[in-house]
Amino acid sequence: MDAGEIVGYIGVNGAGKSTTIKMLTGVLMPTSGEVRVLGRDPHKQRVDNARDIGVVFGQRTQLWWDLALIESLNLIAKIYDVPPDRYKNILDQFTETLDLGALLNVPVRNMSLGQKMRSELAAALIHEPKVVYLDEPTIGLDLIVKERIRDFIKAECGAKGMTVMLTTHDLGDIEELCQRVIIIDDGQVIYDGPIQTIKKRFGKFREISFDTMKEAKSLQLPDGAQVLSAEERKVHIRFDRTVSSASKVASAVMNQIEVTDFSLSEPDLADIVKQIYNGALEREAR
Amino acid sequence: MTRYMSLYWLFLLQRLKALMEYRASFILGATSTIIWQGSSIAAVWVVMQNVPSLNGWNYDEVLMVYGIITLAKSINHMFADNLWTVGRVYIRAGGFDRFLVRPIDPLFHLLADRFCQDGVGNFIVGLALVVKASVDLDITWTPLMVAMLAVGVISGGFIFIALNLITCVSSFWIIDSVPITRLVFDNHLFAQYPLSIYPKAISILLTWVIPYGFASFYPASYLLGREMGNLAWVSPLIAAFLMFIGYRFWQFGLKYYSGTGS
Repeated sequence: MDAGEIVGYIGVNGAGKSTTIKMLTGVLMPTSGEVRVLGRDPHKQRVDNARDIGVVFGQRTQLWWDLALIESLNLIAKIYDVPPDRYKNILDQFTETLDLGALLNVPVRNMSLGQKMRSELAAALIHEPKVVYLDEPTIGLDLIVKERIRDFIKAECGAKGMTVMLTTHDLGDIEELCQRVIIIDDGQVIYDGPIQTIKKRFGKFREISFDTMKEAKSLQLPDGAQVLSAEERKVHIRFDRTVSSASKVASAVMNQIEVTDFSLSEPDLADIVKQIYNGALEREAR
Repeated sequence: MTRYMSLYWLFLLQRLKALMEYRASFILGATSTIIWQGSSIAAVWVVMQNVPSLNGWNYDEVLMVYGIITLAKSINHMFADNLWTVGRVYIRAGGFDRFLVRPIDPLFHLLADRFCQDGVGNFIVGLALVVKASVDLDITWTPLMVAMLAVGVISGGFIFIALNLITCVSSFWIIDSVPITRLVFDNHLFAQYPLSIYPKAISILLTWVIPYGFASFYPASYLLGREMGNLAWVSPLIAAFLMFIGYRFWQFGLKYYSGTGS
C-alpha cells in the first residue's frame, strides 16, 4: 500500500481479513513470509510500530468501560505520549467533528452503539497515527451515524494523509471512501485494484431497459441475452458481456420494435461482490 | 522507568475514579475480605485456645507469621489481581489484543489495568495482626527490624506475584489458567503457620520450591529473634530470581500466543 491511500479490504467471513490485520498490527507473527509496516517488522518492533498505528476493532472496545470518555482519552493520550497542547487541539477538533461534546462525561457502558463507535474512532486517532486499521467501523450502525463516521474518516484521515486499511461488509463504506479495493478469499488476494475495474472484470452481466411504443412480444435476441421481465411498454434484458455487447442487444431490439428510450444500468458493486463471495463459497463446498 | 511509574499513577487514579462510581461495591469488596480474613483468624484463635503452643510458638507469634503473609498477599491482591483473570477475561474475549497494539509493555498494561480494591481489606487485616502481635509480645522495634518487615512484606509480595505470573502464562495455551494458579497459590495456606510445625518435606517445599516461607515464616522468625531468622535477608534475591523467571516465561508464552492467535 502507498502512503495516504485508503484501501478497502474485503472478503467473506473467515477469508483471513482479521488475521491480516493482526499481523499488520504486530499481534500475530506470520507463519511464513514477511510483513513490513513503515519499513518495520510489526511483530519484532511491536512497540515502535504501535506508536505509529491506530486500530479500531469494531466489535471490541479500546476504552475503559467504567470511565467517562474524557478520562479514557486522557489516559490514552498519556500512553502514546501526546504533548499536552497538541492533545488539547486534537481533542477540540474531534469534539466538533465527531460531535462528542455531550459524550465526554458519559462512561462508555452507558453509550449507544453509535456513540461508542464515535468514541472508539477518537481513541484510535488521538495520537495522529500514520497508519490506521479500521476493522468494521460501521457494523450495526444506522445510516446517519454511518454517514457521520464516513465523513469523519474522509476528512480526518484524508486531510492528514493517513494510510487507512478498512475492512467492512458495507460496500457503501468502500464506494464512498476507497480508491482501491483488495478482495481476499481463503488467504489469497483475488482482486487488487480500483473499484471501477472490479465492475468491469467481475460484472459479467449487464442490464438494459427499453421503453417501447407497443408491447414487446417474442423478441429475437443475440446469444447471451435474455429477457428478464416484460411489462406493457417496458422490457428488461440482461446480457453476458463476454458473449454479446450493449450495441448488439440494442440494435437487435430496435430492429424489431420501436423504442422511445433506453438505459444501460451500471453494475451494482454489491451484486458483484455477492457473486465473488458465492463463487468463493461454492469452491469451499466442493 | 519514571514514565512507567507516572503512567501507573494515572492508571490508578482513573481506576479509583471508576471505583468511586461504585462506592458501595468498593466498600463491600474491602469489607468482605476483612470479614473473610476475620473468620480465618477466628479459626487460628480456636486452635490456639486449645493448643496454647504450636511446637513452641504461642498464639501471638503465630499471628505475626499470619500477619506478615497477609500483608505480602495483599500486595499481590491489590496490584496483580489481573494475573488470575488474564485468560478468562482478557484472552478469551479478545481484549488482550488491545495490550499488544499499544506502545507500552503488555504485562505492565495488564497489571495497571485493574488495581484490585479488595486487596485493601487484606492489607488492613495484615497490618492490624502485626501490630497486635507486636504489642502483645512487647517487641521493641529497631530500625533494622522495621527494614526487615518492609523487605519481607515487599519481597513476599513479589514472590506471590511471580508465582502467579508463572502459572498464569499457561492461559496462552489453555485460556483458563485459574485451576493451575490455584494449585500453586493454595500452598501459601501452609505458610500462614510457622514452617517448623511441619514435616521436613513440607518445610523444604515452602522454602526452596514454592517459597512462600520467605513471605511469612522467615521474616517473622527474624523479628521474633528465632533461629533461621537471618535467612529472611535472602527474600529479595528469591523474589528477584522468581520475577526474572516469571517475566521470561511470560515472554515465551506471549511469543507462542502471537504465533498461533486465538
